[in-house]
Amino acid sequence: MRHAARAVLTLTLVMGAVGCGGRSQTSDASGTPASGARPAFTPVDETAAVFWDRQTTETAELLRTLVDDYNAGRPQDLLPVKLEHVGGYTDIFRKVSASIQARALPAMAVGYQSMTSEYVQAGAVVALDAFVQDPAVGFAPEDLGDFFPVVLETNRYSDFDNAMYSFPFCKSALMMFFNKKVLADAGIEAPPVTWEEFFAQCRQVKEKTGKHAYAVSVDCSTIDGFVYSMGGDVIDGQTTLFDQIASVRVFELFEALAKEELAYQISPGTYDDETALAHNEIAFMFRSSSARTSIQMLMEGDDDRWGMTRIPQADPANPRTVLYGPNICVFNTTPEQQRAAWAFIKYFTSAETGVKWALGTGYLPIRKSAAKDPQMQAFWDEWAYNRAAFDCLEFAKSEPTVAGWQEVRLLVEKAQTEVLTGIKSARQAVLDLKHKADAVLAQQ
Amino acid sequence: MKRVADSWGMLLRFPDMCLGVLDNAFDRCRIRPLKDAPIAAFLLLPALVVLGAFGLLPLGYSAYMSLFGGKWGMGDFVGLGNYAEAIGSRAFWGSFLVTAYYAAGTIPLTMAFSFTIAYLLFHVARGRSFFRTVYFLPYVTSAVAAAMVWRGIFNPQFGIVNALLTRWGIEPLDWLLEPRSILALITGREALVSVGPSLALCGVMLFEIWHGSGFMIVIFLAGLSAIPRELEEAARIDGAGPFQVVRKVTLPLLSPTIFFLAIVSVIKSFQAFNSVFALTGDGHGPLDTTQNVTVYIYSQFYEFHRWGYGTAVAALLCLAIMTLTVVQWRFVGRKVHYE
Amino acid sequence: MRRVLPYVLLGVGTLVVTFPFVWMITTAFKTQTEATMSTLNLWPSVWQWRNFAETFRAAPFARYFFNSFLVAFTVTAAVIVTSLMAGYAFARLEFPGSRILFGLVLATMMIPFEVTLIPNFVLIRRLDWYNAYPALIVPWCANAFSIFLMRQAFLSLPSDYFDAAKVDGCGHLRFLARIAAPLVKPMVVTVGLFAFLGSYNSLLWPLVVTSEEAMRVVQVGLTVFSGAEGVRLHLLMCASAIVILPTVALYFAAQRYFLEGSIGAGIKG
Repeated sequence: MRHAARAVLTLTLVMGAVGCGGRSQTSDASGTPASGARPAFTPVDETAAVFWDRQTTETAELLRTLVDDYNAGRPQDLLPVKLEHVGGYTDIFRKVSASIQARALPAMAVGYQSMTSEYVQAGAVVALDAFVQDPAVGFAPEDLGDFFPVVLETNRYSDFDNAMYSFPFCKSALMMFFNKKVLADAGIEAPPVTWEEFFAQCRQVKEKTGKHAYAVSVDCSTIDGFVYSMGGDVIDGQTTLFDQIASVRVFELFEALAKEELAYQISPGTYDDETALAHNEIAFMFRSSSARTSIQMLMEGDDDRWGMTRIPQADPANPRTVLYGPNICVFNTTPEQQRAAWAFIKYFTSAETGVKWALGTGYLPIRKSAAKDPQMQAFWDEWAYNRAAFDCLEFAKSEPTVAGWQEVRLLVEKAQTEVLTGIKSARQAVLDLKHKADAVLAQQ
Repeated sequence: MKRVADSWGMLLRFPDMCLGVLDNAFDRCRIRPLKDAPIAAFLLLPALVVLGAFGLLPLGYSAYMSLFGGKWGMGDFVGLGNYAEAIGSRAFWGSFLVTAYYAAGTIPLTMAFSFTIAYLLFHVARGRSFFRTVYFLPYVTSAVAAAMVWRGIFNPQFGIVNALLTRWGIEPLDWLLEPRSILALITGREALVSVGPSLALCGVMLFEIWHGSGFMIVIFLAGLSAIPRELEEAARIDGAGPFQVVRKVTLPLLSPTIFFLAIVSVIKSFQAFNSVFALTGDGHGPLDTTQNVTVYIYSQFYEFHRWGYGTAVAALLCLAIMTLTVVQWRFVGRKVHYE
Repeated sequence: MRRVLPYVLLGVGTLVVTFPFVWMITTAFKTQTEATMSTLNLWPSVWQWRNFAETFRAAPFARYFFNSFLVAFTVTAAVIVTSLMAGYAFARLEFPGSRILFGLVLATMMIPFEVTLIPNFVLIRRLDWYNAYPALIVPWCANAFSIFLMRQAFLSLPSDYFDAAKVDGCGHLRFLARIAAPLVKPMVVTVGLFAFLGSYNSLLWPLVVTSEEAMRVVQVGLTVFSGAEGVRLHLLMCASAIVILPTVALYFAAQRYFLEGSIGAGIKG
């Protein structure tokens, strides 16, 4: 076995030499991002604009229908769009990573801002500003004004000249879901509007029903939303604001919830909170508005038993929540592919398609004009809470897109776990978090 | 009719004849200092081509990439900087400790359990194929689907484990969500919170023992069936009790199999990823207490895109596995009994 | 007592080992709401047979099964051949550099798959195998684990056989094909079984090297039940149960070979 070690060493040196030869051709690609000199990537399919996506079941079917509609009606000089299911977000990310290395990419892919910002650094995505403003294929100013400003804002990357490297795809807002039966059992008539009310109701639920009030899914976006609603922010330039009063109050809330056993933590990556809500085991959960469809299914159509509304606020007159959801980015392949991708994005975000998509999936329409759409209005009239998430678009706020935020997210979730398990006090956790997060951002 | 039979016979003998011709050819080109080299080259070629292209090439490529900083492996040449950073990093050593706990916790237990089951399976007369299929079931299931079931079992609110504990009057536990070490939980002393494996990690280990034992049982069974039965019989006639037969006859004769399993399971447990990832949802686990070296590498690669640093850690892991393998080979391999 | 004890032990073990499977199968017959609740209520209140229809509607599983079998059986055959050949060479032949080569083979086991994924994908692209069967098959046609296992098997064969064959003037290739390989049949079956399982259960690699529906395998099919906003647990369990069925059947067929003590047969024949 000593030989194995020696053999590997020899091999490494040989490979190193080989690698050097191979590397020289890619090393010119390591300049600044978005420099025009960089060679474009080859398309994975010459004959179609491939779209790597992650939708499943009914939403996937709807998306396929929309793609078919688009292909049927598209101008003949544009490539057709081809939808490919590539697994979950991590799978897409790994596949794009490998494909960047192999220098062959699809026309577009779905992804979160953190993913896109990594692609930008590898020179793999194109900024869409030129397309947006193009007189022929872009949006007219009044058309662009129809989008809620925040949905466009989330696609600007502060680290890269504030350019728009992606376009909104599935948008949703952080909402509070509540179980009416559990609340009624505890003698509560209406869900809380402020955080003080929320905490009081949690206590009341525990006291009257013996149940936990809230199942916590440890998640940085939820923390961001809570901090916003407490009137604060999480970042200012390159420094985080976790030691500020709004953030401290959020972590103290979790500390108190855990200490009085009003809340429990669910396994990461599961939807146990949705299950518990549907089975009248808890009163509250906080999730993206797009969870509506899945809860509806779990409730088996019993819509009188639950509701969704905006999250509690420090100042109800000046509400805040977080906006999230994936976007589409266009890869740096041939102009032909890029044109086709943009044409599809434009079709997809048109007022008409936007409404179809929103009605079929539970994601939010991203245009203000959707409010006047008769189908949309009919949908809102169906159930008292259908409109709640749409109303949040006026004041929802996006999350940071700075480089290194992905690492900060994990730190935030660790801090939340520390507080929930009682390993650290809220004050201590917040101070440590601020210290570590700032160090991460300073490294970038 | 006879001719047909003849040509059929010819056809059947044909491969054998080819082998004979090849054998003779190899025999002729036998040159003394090369010994069996020509025929060895022939036998090894297919395996080496595949392993070279899809095993060694990426290995070399990764070793090379580990010398570069930045993201996507596109940064500046930093020499051994990534290695120095890893060795100075607390997260790296923390993940190493998790790997060590994991290996120490799963290998001996899985081995003991699997050997017992395999031995029993080998010696019972009835229902053998039923039992053998049953015990192999965990291994045929993909880790992802199996982990889904186990997450349900460990669920602190609705899982069966806590339900049983409550019924027996024991305080329910947080299982896969509990970052406290089992030492702290047993002794009730908060000072020991981060000493030893966390309860979450122990949950993952339990899963791995369940999932991995099917693999070992099969190999033990194959090993057991290669042992001439007469030897055990002879020992029994000499008046040895069942435990003595196992200790004096079965285990020594099984030593090549045990040796193989020891080496392979160290390698496997040092690379454990799927079960950790599927069971905890993200691999990190509560407060990184299930983050082993492979998860750490994964996270550096696919969460932070630090390919150079990630491959440097992978090289260190490789080095650790190699050292362990050499040690086992030296000290255990010598005691292995080959016929 | 001595007669009964093994059965008692095996029986208790069976309960523990199979519980997750019973749960998986009964969950496959529940409604979504029922499925998600608790591991305590094992039995579905109403057996939902339509879950199977729904599962098959969610993805083209017939095609996926075809691909999975094609790929897994080819890989199995190839692994058996390559590991028999290489294992024999490492166990019974003398040649310069044999230990270094064996070390190199073992070294390929020591680097995590997650790290080699990217260079391997680049290679597949260069070979133009993206979305083609070779990408799913060729990289897995030999592995260090199987070679190591076969080497151990050949090493534990009594050396008398080899000496006898030499005296008879039987060359290595004929000896390997006619005498040695049949003698290690349990290990051959074992290697084949693991090769099959490894190929059949792999998810990440097929996901990365294919994108056409026509090239996908069953494990990829299982991913359609986990969406961004929830898991269709009942359907996932239904599909998982269907997907593991062939492997259980295969194992059931293969397991009798583990018992054939083939040493005696070798001497007689």
